Amino acid sequence: MFNKMFKTKLSAAVLAAAAAASPVQAEGEYGILMKTLANPFWGAMGQGVEDGAKAADVEYFIQAVESDQAAESQLNVCNTMLERRPVAMITAAINSTNLLPCLKSAQDAGIKIVDLDGNLDPAILDAEGIEITFRIGSDNVLAGAQGAEFMVGQLGADATGPVLVIEGLSGNITGQNRTSGFADKLAELAPGLEIVASLPGDWDRGKAANITNDILTRNPDLVGIFAANDGMALGAVESVFAAGKGGDVVIIGVDGNSDAVTSIQAGRLTASVAQLPYLVGQQAVENVKAVLEGGDVEPQITVPTLVLTKEVMDAGTDPLLESVK
Amino acid sequence: MATSPTRTDARRPGRWARLQARSIEQLHVRLESLIVLIALSTLMAILSPYFLSVSNFLNILLATSTIGVLAIAATFVLSSGGLDLSLGSVLGFSGVCGAAVAVKLGAPMPIAVIATIGAGALAGLVNGLIITRAFVPAFIVTLGMLGIARGLALVISDGRVIYGLPNAMVYLGQGRPFGIPMPVIIFIVTAIVTHMVLAYTRYGRHTLAIGDSENAARTSGINVDFHRLTLYVLSGGLAGLAGLLFATRINSGDPTAGIAYELTAITAAIIGGTNLFGGRGSILGTMIGALIMGVLQNGLNLLAVQSYYQQMAIGGVLILAVFIDQYQVRKESRI
Amino acid sequence: MTLLTVSGIRKSFGAVDVLHGVDFSVGAGEVLGLVGDNGAGKSTLMKIVTGMYKADAGDVVLGGTSVLDLSPGERRAKGIEMIYQDLALAKQQDVAANIFLGREPVRRVFGVNFVDRTKMKQDAQAMITRLGANLPAINRPVGSFSGGQQQSVAIARALTFNPKVVIMDEPTAALAVREVQGVLDLIRQLRDQGIGVILISHRLNDVLSVTDRIVVLHHGRAAANLVTKETTMTDVVSAIVGGGDMAEAAAHEAQG
Repeated sequence: MFNKMFKTKLSAAVLAAAAAASPVQAEGEYGILMKTLANPFWGAMGQGVEDGAKAADVEYFIQAVESDQAAESQLNVCNTMLERRPVAMITAAINSTNLLPCLKSAQDAGIKIVDLDGNLDPAILDAEGIEITFRIGSDNVLAGAQGAEFMVGQLGADATGPVLVIEGLSGNITGQNRTSGFADKLAELAPGLEIVASLPGDWDRGKAANITNDILTRNPDLVGIFAANDGMALGAVESVFAAGKGGDVVIIGVDGNSDAVTSIQAGRLTASVAQLPYLVGQQAVENVKAVLEGGDVEPQITVPTLVLTKEVMDAGTDPLLESVK
Repeated sequence: MATSPTRTDARRPGRWARLQARSIEQLHVRLESLIVLIALSTLMAILSPYFLSVSNFLNILLATSTIGVLAIAATFVLSSGGLDLSLGSVLGFSGVCGAAVAVKLGAPMPIAVIATIGAGALAGLVNGLIITRAFVPAFIVTLGMLGIARGLALVISDGRVIYGLPNAMVYLGQGRPFGIPMPVIIFIVTAIVTHMVLAYTRYGRHTLAIGDSENAARTSGINVDFHRLTLYVLSGGLAGLAGLLFATRINSGDPTAGIAYELTAITAAIIGGTNLFGGRGSILGTMIGALIMGVLQNGLNLLAVQSYYQQMAIGGVLILAVFIDQYQVRKESRI
Repeated sequence: MTLLTVSGIRKSFGAVDVLHGVDFSVGAGEVLGLVGDNGAGKSTLMKIVTGMYKADAGDVVLGGTSVLDLSPGERRAKGIEMIYQDLALAKQQDVAANIFLGREPVRRVFGVNFVDRTKMKQDAQAMITRLGANLPAINRPVGSFSGGQQQSVAIARALTFNPKVVIMDEPTAALAVREVQGVLDLIRQLRDQGIGVILISHRLNDVLSVTDRIVVLHHGRAAANLVTKETTMTDVVSAIVGGGDMAEAAAHEAQG
């Protein structure tokens, strides 16, 4: 998937270089700014955007930065992208503030702004006077709640025992929504399941593995782990299996990325609340096109999430499975 | 003077060498880096129809401003034979300090600005004191500070972006007097002042001499330890200024700002002709180095080339720049 | 007339005593040889005179006032210069930068002191010409020069600011025969100008031919203070190694 994308981009660049005399058609170009593609989640979303753009027959160019912490680089890339005068900027901002100056310029230039995956804070946007066309993404609170429902379904509503929650990067809104959604739903459905620790794993697989190790030492009878993304859930999986407790602990991640799918199929990770980033990317382009053609779209488009388990995948009947990349 | 005419002829440097010598003496810049910058810009202008415009030129300068100020700091420290690996972390730390003072304490803009730069200078002072008084190698001390400053930034901000700086402060990052972005103005003024200091004052000449031969500097009566201390304070203060530009550009103190920026800053300095081991360096050269990287990144962005390839390109330019430099230095020392 | 008086200098590095109370003096227009075996403490003693090291005890007096509390830079300003064996040059800097290192002339522009490059270059060129040194170009890094040329720069640096005392540490060790004569001539010129010269050298022939007096350091003490005219190679060698009949060793030295 990545290779294909690389080739497309590279050949696009080479073409642009070769055909300098006939510049890329600028009219109606969509600018898509991702965080980084060095992560299956963003890679899948990029792929969705690309396929969506091809299906809708629109011109587009995708840019990303080297890591999902390169806030200033992303702002610089964003400014540069405006030089190409796109008609729309579909952006997945690294944090809620880093792209603001660029988005302001985009708005002044009459470019449509789309918040991909809900990284922008509505309150801050209001304060800055920036109006976005729509935001599209999964509902992270709902994703967390789905995780809790699945866990309770596995363990039973009257189950008791300690549960570990591994949070994302401290202060990251996405991670906070997922974990709070999980915690609230869990308390509601199965009060006997007690969250004994909720610690920041900083999206880091190794850190999540260490946290799991530590908590397993303290609570050897751990019954469930919910991690705010798949990478951390897979770190937890390693620690649980290394401690000889494979199969005893229900481990749930969020994202539904390819590593997680592999792990679920191997019977290691119990489930992942799939975010369907491919679908998010695809629908983002479709909706932008609708807006540019004069149509109306909801200001908040929620793309459904799907709890991926071995059973669901083996059955293969859920229509959303097609969007799992 | 009493040599025969033929010998004088054989020794007379060619047009290129004379031009090079003049460039080095008067601009403190090697010609090769200037040629690379011009060639690269020309190439980008041919490849992308969007490259050659005033607004894109300002984009390049704007994108270069934070890293450029940091590269100035790196130039001073490197050319004195030192090293400051904490630049990126101190940038993040000082930005958070400034934002905390402005947003959480509600201090007026001048105080918040002073706090931002002061926080950087303070980190530099700690670096300098440990290096010059406790004789711990700069590599170790600044590597330690890299962790300490980053950790402090996260502690102060509680791991969250501190949003909502006062308007007067945001103007420093987002204002555009005469259509020129403020960070570009601040960056260029800083570059001019520091260029004068490094190239034309005793402080600057002593900085280079210390990096060249600490022994020569000491025996000449220069107070090497104190000079080194001031360099680390300067370096930290400039990192604080870079932190101010960063924070005001995005209207928030971001505790993760500037991760690994020190390496980019050092790269810019070295592409610009600074000797990694001291004794040679100029701010104008570093500016050209930073612009080479800026043009490369901007051009590749305009061509929508993956950021992975950009990193490869910059790595390649770095090695090429040092190769050309070494080749020239070796050739000259054979004459 | 005594110019520089060094008295009772003691110095130890940790447990190692290097100097145990050394006394000597040098007058204006006098050339003093300072000789001794490796490790006798010559370099340490000179670094105490220039202020690079702090003495544990003793005093260094120049022209009647103690310079003990002064920094190396302040002692240079008072007229104590040293030409180091390794030359202590900044090799990537040009000739003028080296000669004026630490004492660059400045010009005030808009209230800021800028280094006066023009004056530096002119004065550096003048000094190099006065010394009769043959340098390929004055605006080149001194690291690209030959050893002899580099030494000329080091000498020019020591002589540019009208020194009172010039210390030379093994100035002839790395030179060709013709160049050695040049250095010895220079020492005589300095003496004639009323400058006190301290010459540290292992080449006893040079020391005997150019000095007025010879101080021999042995195990951190001034073991002998000889008037050169009344001294033979044998006396010097004998003092260096600590007594005994040294006729054979002296004869070997005399052959050079």
